[in-house]
Order: sequence, then C-alpha cells, then structure tokens
Amino acid sequence: MGNKKILIVDDDPDVRHGLQVRLKANHYDTFFAVDAVSSMSEARKCEPDLIILDLGLPAGDGFVVMERLRQMHSLALIPVIVVSARDVRANQERALKAGAKAFLQKPVEDAELLAVIRKALGEPAKRERPEVYDLGSI
Amino acid sequence: MKEKALQVLLVEDNEGDVRLLREMFRGERPDSFELTHLLRMGEAEIHLAKGGVDIVLLDMGLPDGHGLDTVQRAHAAAPDVPLIILTGLDDEALAAEAMTQGAQDYMIKGQIESRALPRALRHAIERHRMQIDADLIRMHQMQFKDEFFSHVSHELRSPLTAIRQFVTILLDRLAGELNPEQHQYLEIVLRNVKQLQLMIDDLFEVTALEAGKLRIELQCCSASDAIVYTVNTLQEAATAKAITLSSDVGCGLPSVYADPARLRQILIILVDNAIKFTPANGTVKVQARILEEDPNRLLLEVSDSGPGISPDMTERIFERLFQASDLAVAGRKGLGLGLYICKDLVTRQAGQIWVKSAPGQGSVFSVALPTFSLSDLIAPALRRDGHTADPITLVVTEIGSRIGWLSEEVRAKISLPVRDVLRRCLYSDLDVLLPKTGVAGAAELFFIVALTDGLGGEAMAKRIRKQLDSCEPIQQAGLILSTSYRSLGPIARKASESMEDFLKKVATELQELMNQEISSRM
Repeated sequence: MGNKKILIVDDDPDVRHGLQVRLKANHYDTFFAVDAVSSMSEARKCEPDLIILDLGLPAGDGFVVMERLRQMHSLALIPVIVVSARDVRANQERALKAGAKAFLQKPVEDAELLAVIRKALGEPAKRERPEVYDLGSI
Repeated sequence: MKEKALQVLLVEDNEGDVRLLREMFRGERPDSFELTHLLRMGEAEIHLAKGGVDIVLLDMGLPDGHGLDTVQRAHAAAPDVPLIILTGLDDEALAAEAMTQGAQDYMIKGQIESRALPRALRHAIERHRMQIDADLIRMHQMQFKDEFFSHVSHELRSPLTAIRQFVTILLDRLAGELNPEQHQYLEIVLRNVKQLQLMIDDLFEVTALEAGKLRIELQCCSASDAIVYTVNTLQEAATAKAITLSSDVGCGLPSVYADPARLRQILIILVDNAIKFTPANGTVKVQARILEEDPNRLLLEVSDSGPGISPDMTERIFERLFQASDLAVAGRKGLGLGLYICKDLVTRQAGQIWVKSAPGQGSVFSVALPTFSLSDLIAPALRRDGHTADPITLVVTEIGSRIGWLSEEVRAKISLPVRDVLRRCLYSDLDVLLPKTGVAGAAELFFIVALTDGLGGEAMAKRIRKQLDSCEPIQQAGLILSTSYRSLGPIARKASESMEDFLKKVATELQELMNQEISSRM
C-alpha cells in the first residue's frame, strides 16, 4: 500500500514547507493549497486521505472550506484537522462543530500533530498519547 | 460668537454669605454668569437632576445635609458637574477631604477675593472638562490595547510556527546530521521560542480576562492535587537552576471551592516566578494549611529564598504590565502579566492574594481560597423560615459509558450540557444542584439536594430522565444514563440548636449519603 496523502491548506509558505518536511519524514505524501478556492480544486484533484486546514485564509476562511467540503459528496468524509493561530476558546468548539476532527493551536508540537493525524487516519499510535487534544467523536 | 452664560448653582443657607458671593459677580459681564440660589440640599438635588448646571458652589453645612454627605449627594445627583466647596476657616481639613470625594476645589469663606471667584469657577470647569477628556482617552486607549493585544498575539504565532517547525526539523536531523555544538545552539533557539510562546499565551489570557470571556467553574477540588501537579510540572525547571523545589501539604486538608484548572494555573504562575527570581542553590517551597484567622479558608503559600521585594512594591507587582526594575534580578523578566492574571483569577474565585517580603529575605506569596462546604451550599434553602423541618431528598444522576469508563474528554464535554438540563429540572430555588465533587470512578455523578419528599424526588428523577434522553451531546456519545433518588426524611431542628449546627448536621447526613452513592459505583 502506498503512502497516505495529506492536503495542507495554509497561506503561509514557510508553514507549508515546514509541514511538508515533517510529514514526508513520517511517510506521508503532501499536497498544497493556499486559499479557500484552490483548496477545493486541489482536494478534488489529489483525493487526500486527510486535510490540514488553517482558519485564516484569503478568499473565504477555513470554516467556508469545511462547509464546502461537507457539501461535496466525494469529499465530505475526508477528515480535517484545523491548525490555526486563532484563539482556542473562540474557535475550537466552532471548528469541531463544523466537522473538524481536532483543533490544534499554532505553534503545534510535532508529536501532538502526528498523533492526531494517526488517530484521524485510523493508524496505530506510535508515540505516547499527547496530553491535550480533542478528537470529537471519532 | 457670543458665549453662553455659565449656569452656576449656589447652595447656601446663610443669607449674608449669599449676598457677599453675589457681590463678587458684579464686576463680570451680566451675560457671562447666571446664578441660581437654593437653600437646601434636597432642592439642589432635584435641580441638579434636571441638568443644565455648569458648576455648583456648595456649602457643607445645610439644614438638610452636612459635611461630606452633601458632597456625595451632589456628586450622585450630577456626577458630571464640577463642585466647589464653600467652607469656614475651621473646616478646611474636611473641605480638603471633600476633594477626594469628587470636589474640584474649595474656597474659604471670608477669604475669597472678589475677582478670584469667577476665575476659580472658570478654572474648575476647564479642569473638569480636561479630566473627562483624559478619562475618555484612557478608555479608548484601553480598548485599543485589548484589540491590539489580541491582533498582535495572533500575528506573532504564525512566524513563530515556522521558526519552531524548522528548528525541530533540524534537531530531529531531518535535514542531516548535526555536530554537538550545532545541536546545543538549536536547543537554545527552541527554548527561547517556547518562552516567546508562553508570553503570547499570557497576552491572549489577559485579553480574554478583560473581555470577560474567561469561564470559571467552581467545584469541590483538591488543593493538594494542584500542588503536586505544579511541583511535578516545574521540577525540571527548578533542577536546571539548581533550586530545591519542595512542597509540604498537611494531611486531611479540606477541599477548596475553586476551578481546578485555574487553581493549577495560579500555582504554576507563582512557582514559576519564584524559580525565575531565585538565584542558584536557593529554595522554593509550596505549602498549604487552614488559615488561622478564618477556618473556612485554605491558605496556599509559595515561599522563595530570592532577592525579595521592597515594601512599596508589594501592591504594585499585581498591576498589569508591572516590571521589576531591580537590577539585582538577573535575566529576563517576561511581560509583567503573570501576577496580574493570578490576582484576577484568585479574585474571581472569591479569594485573596498578597505577598510578604523584604529585600534580601525572600518572598512569601499567599493565596487564600474558600474551603468547600456543603452546609454553605444548602444554607440558602434551609435558612428560610419554615423550611428547617422539610423532608430532604438527594437526587443522583449517573452518566456512564458502555465500556465502563468515561474519558476525561467526554466528562468535560458532557458536564456543561448535563448541568444545564439538571438546572432546568429543579422545582424552585429551594433545590440545589451541587457543583462537581471531584468524584473518581467509572461514571460521572451529579447530585441535587431537593427540599421535597419521596414523591417529589420520584417526579424530579422522571423529569430528568426524560430531559436527558433528548440531550444531544449525550445521545451522540452513546452514553448510559440513570437517575435515582434517596430520601433523608425530615431532619428537624432542635429548639436548642443553632442554625449553624443544624446546617452542619444536615450536611453531614447528606455527605454520608453521597459517599455511599459514590462508593457503590467504585
């Protein structure tokens, strides 16, 4: 079986690049989108197993992206992990309600991000369980 | 342009003084001042409430008001109108005190130069206007600062994310091998990035605090648990500085009525500060005991062998953005928000915080928090007339999972919605939904103390079951529900018994019943 595919949606090129290196090292294939519009077309094209989504994006924020994903039959079931610099209190609940599997605040601990990704993909946990994350009801 | 005449209200009961004062305006243009004269405070209050007065000249000895009372009343009737006190020579001290109550100025009767009065009035009005402007500007500045904090902390996180990502990529050797020196330097970068991140967290915290967005859920919680957690969390940081960090928690410490997460946060800030300001080979100690002066409060103390704080700073260190200017304190100081956050969190939990210290003798930060008391919680219902002989029923709602264990995440998630449902199921304010009691067990238990008999208990249990069956978060999580009740029967208050003793007796019986319920599920 080939590597799992992860679509990274973030408008910050350095953050995208950093995530790419980290995820590649953990045997994931990475794809990129920089805004709400390209994230939809990219998702249709690469059919990712998981999406890492920033909230503050040009041309419609992460909530808009999640809403559109849910409306698309072929994309509705792709697990989404929100990784944002926004305030946890104001955004975590909203993100989970919108269908995200987890909300992580930037800067993210690598071990935490990887554990959340593995859990969302249904892969066995490799490291210790991180202390704080909310995976909703998966 | 013609200026509007200044409306002066003179409140004075001595006709002679009134005549003299009127005389002083004679030299002014007739359209520059318009004097209204009243004899009594009551009349003045009504007149002021109507508005239109620019300044008040107030005698402090009136037939229906005396001393500072008149100042407060005038200020209350028209808080935005400046006041000048008229006083006799023997009352100057009192007049000076009136200025702390909001008066702009005072003038001593018999010593007022005729030309000085109109000028003093104009100045007082001008000063007052400037003060209002300054207040307004300060308010806008505060608002701006909050928005600014929120924006800045968000914007700072993004580049910090990239820095952290790439430093860890290098440290994990994803970009090739490192020599020991390179590795060490990158560790230093990472440590500083983490420090920066904590500062940004503080900025967020303060913004939330001041915008009232912070939620504090008071419950029965263990102070010793919070102390153990804090010492464990910060032990590594203490060891790195060769500081001995220890705790001394007496046995049988009562629980406190606080938010456990916030309590941990308070202790972390205090102990972290103590470690930061204590030089190598020093000690930091956390202690807890009942407050001697008030057995209903628990005292938590964080003491250190650091440089100490000078006496004039012991209040100011809790101010927002306060920075120690002492050069003896080596190293970085942070943003100066920690103790401010701490004080706010303590105050919101009905506690007090203070510090005792002297330069060179270390510091002791003390936090006093109310202990958890079941009798205090049920007191409002039972204290009411005629309720000391009512039957009491304990209603227990249990929420468990099919696999037998509830994770912390699920507990946290269902707690609020279930509490909301239970609150709606109470019959009246004679029933008390008890806060979480820190139950350790397979299920989450919620207790209601209701002033009703078995029939009422059964009806309430039925209502709760029905309501919870349609509670969405519980259904979604596929949890098991059960609600039962146990009646205590009436516990009558003896004629000789004090209310406090009676409440304690009821609380003891309730506690026993709750313990039974808890242990039957362990």
